[in-house]
Amino acid sequence: MVLKTLNDLNKLVEGGPRKKLVLAAAQDQHSLGAVIRAWKNNIIEPILIGDKEGIQNICALNNYDITGVRIIHEPDTEMSVEMAVRMVSSKQADILMKGKIGTSTLLKCVLNKEWGLRTGNLLSHFALFEVETYHKVIAVTDVAMNIAPNLKEKIAIVNNSVSCLNRLGYTMPKVAVLGAVEMVNENMEATLDAALLSKMNQRDQIKNCIIDGPLAFDNAISLESAQHKGIRSEVAGETDLLLMPDIEVGNVLYKSLVFFAKAKVASIILGAMVPIVLTSRSDSEQAKFDSILLAAAASR
Amino acid sequence: MISSLEQLEEKVLSLKRKYRIAVAWAQDSNTIGAIGKAVNKGFIQALLIGRSSEIIKICYSEGIDEKSVTIIESDTESLASSEAVRLVKNGDADIVMKGLVGTDKFLKAVMDKENGLMLPNAVLSYVCAIEVPAYHKLLFITDPAVIPFPNLDQKVAMASYAIEMAQKFGIEKPKIALIGASEKMSRHFENSVDYSVMCKMADRGQIKNCIMDGPLDLFLACDKNSIGIKGVQTPVNGDADILLFPSLESCNPFYKGLMLFAHGELAGLIRGTEKPVIVMSRSESEKSKYYCIALSCLMA
Repeated sequence: MVLKTLNDLNKLVEGGPRKKLVLAAAQDQHSLGAVIRAWKNNIIEPILIGDKEGIQNICALNNYDITGVRIIHEPDTEMSVEMAVRMVSSKQADILMKGKIGTSTLLKCVLNKEWGLRTGNLLSHFALFEVETYHKVIAVTDVAMNIAPNLKEKIAIVNNSVSCLNRLGYTMPKVAVLGAVEMVNENMEATLDAALLSKMNQRDQIKNCIIDGPLAFDNAISLESAQHKGIRSEVAGETDLLLMPDIEVGNVLYKSLVFFAKAKVASIILGAMVPIVLTSRSDSEQAKFDSILLAAAASR
Repeated sequence: MISSLEQLEEKVLSLKRKYRIAVAWAQDSNTIGAIGKAVNKGFIQALLIGRSSEIIKICYSEGIDEKSVTIIESDTESLASSEAVRLVKNGDADIVMKGLVGTDKFLKAVMDKENGLMLPNAVLSYVCAIEVPAYHKLLFITDPAVIPFPNLDQKVAMASYAIEMAQKFGIEKPKIALIGASEKMSRHFENSVDYSVMCKMADRGQIKNCIMDGPLDLFLACDKNSIGIKGVQTPVNGDADILLFPSLESCNPFYKGLMLFAHGELAGLIRGTEKPVIVMSRSESEKSKYYCIALSCLMA
């Protein structure tokens, strides 16, 4: 199956048991709003950890009715994150979400060796875009977490994203490894890595997807432009996942899609035991809601 | 299509041309024997450079009429080599061949910047066509003689030379297997990295007119049964026309093994030069030397 819009993620969540989402340092208006909305839409079952009074004040001010929501009082933000992470690692929750706390503090807890959420996999960022000018949603990785991944890290990032897409119902997602050109050029490391990833995929060393690269952005998303260049590729024009060469390219692409192309976006962190919702303050409330929806759909 | 070394001879005879061949330091019975056979068949005009008294003696013992060849007196290996190269450079000969001179001295004359035969910026390499009863067709291999550890650019050049030669034999789109110890990509095998880059270059038309795959082990390259057993999908499909080896030290024993243990015969040629250059090991059979001469005519 293929997702045409982010709204289609609802189909994956409907009817199933509601996933338990634990919001760490929950006294945060932006996160609370999205969590409550997702709860009202039957997407998740929230557990709020943080300063109980602060949480209740925010809810009262914004008219959020949280009758029946479980709140655990822990005024110390670091302790509230630890508690949230421990809940997930002991299987009492299915999704972890960041509230009013720094990303680095949250990740430190996630990576804790004793009670964290490590799986041995690299953590990577996975973003799903709905753009009017593309005929389906398109996933992009990694635009926010890994700075300049080497080949080994790119393999891990692809594997994280592919298994997420597999869970979203894509049996063989089409992966384009992005370059500035579609030709192999010894002076462009990204094109060499792209060739290697393609071959590893052919040899079944990277499974459950079809990889082609290097592909320039236009060849990746437009069959017409690929054909114009005489590129024969199963992926060109049908890309489900775009692998970025580094964070600079990824971040600029992400922001141009959002600001210039008015794309809708949902994003999560992959590679831990469960999906992590780690939105930033500048994300719209809709983006936060869609990210929770994505996490619920991607949750095992 | 030329599918055996005997057919190579027939093809050259059918061209109804006489090729002028300059032999450096020619007083070698094996070489003169092969040249004499080609002269008698009518497709070679020989210019034998070296100690004329010895050359005449050998001609006599090989049953070759000394009047059917041109003998040019020369005192040293180096002088004979540069004289042979000069004849080709000036257009007085079509092909240059190494006689009893050491390969290094001979190649020094060929590679001389001012008076040599190198194409500008070309990679010097070696391609062999091998006939062995155990394989269902001719097998082109590279490089058993010139480049010890080819880098990516050199491998690309080697592939192009082998493709060019196979095409001269009438194989329009030869199947080329890039040989490794296994079909898997591994960072422990640097060649597997170059190979996947080359495959992508072939995909993108940066290497033309071939069906390329690698890394492949020899079984997957040349044995259809292994394809089924290993379950590896490869367009070469156990039916390789060309084997590209990762190093001289892997290619050289391969061809010598075929000569020694599998009744192989070969015809080989230096590539990257303006005109054909024949370099053969002194221990090569007269028959192989004869086929080399025929091959040089085909490639002239």
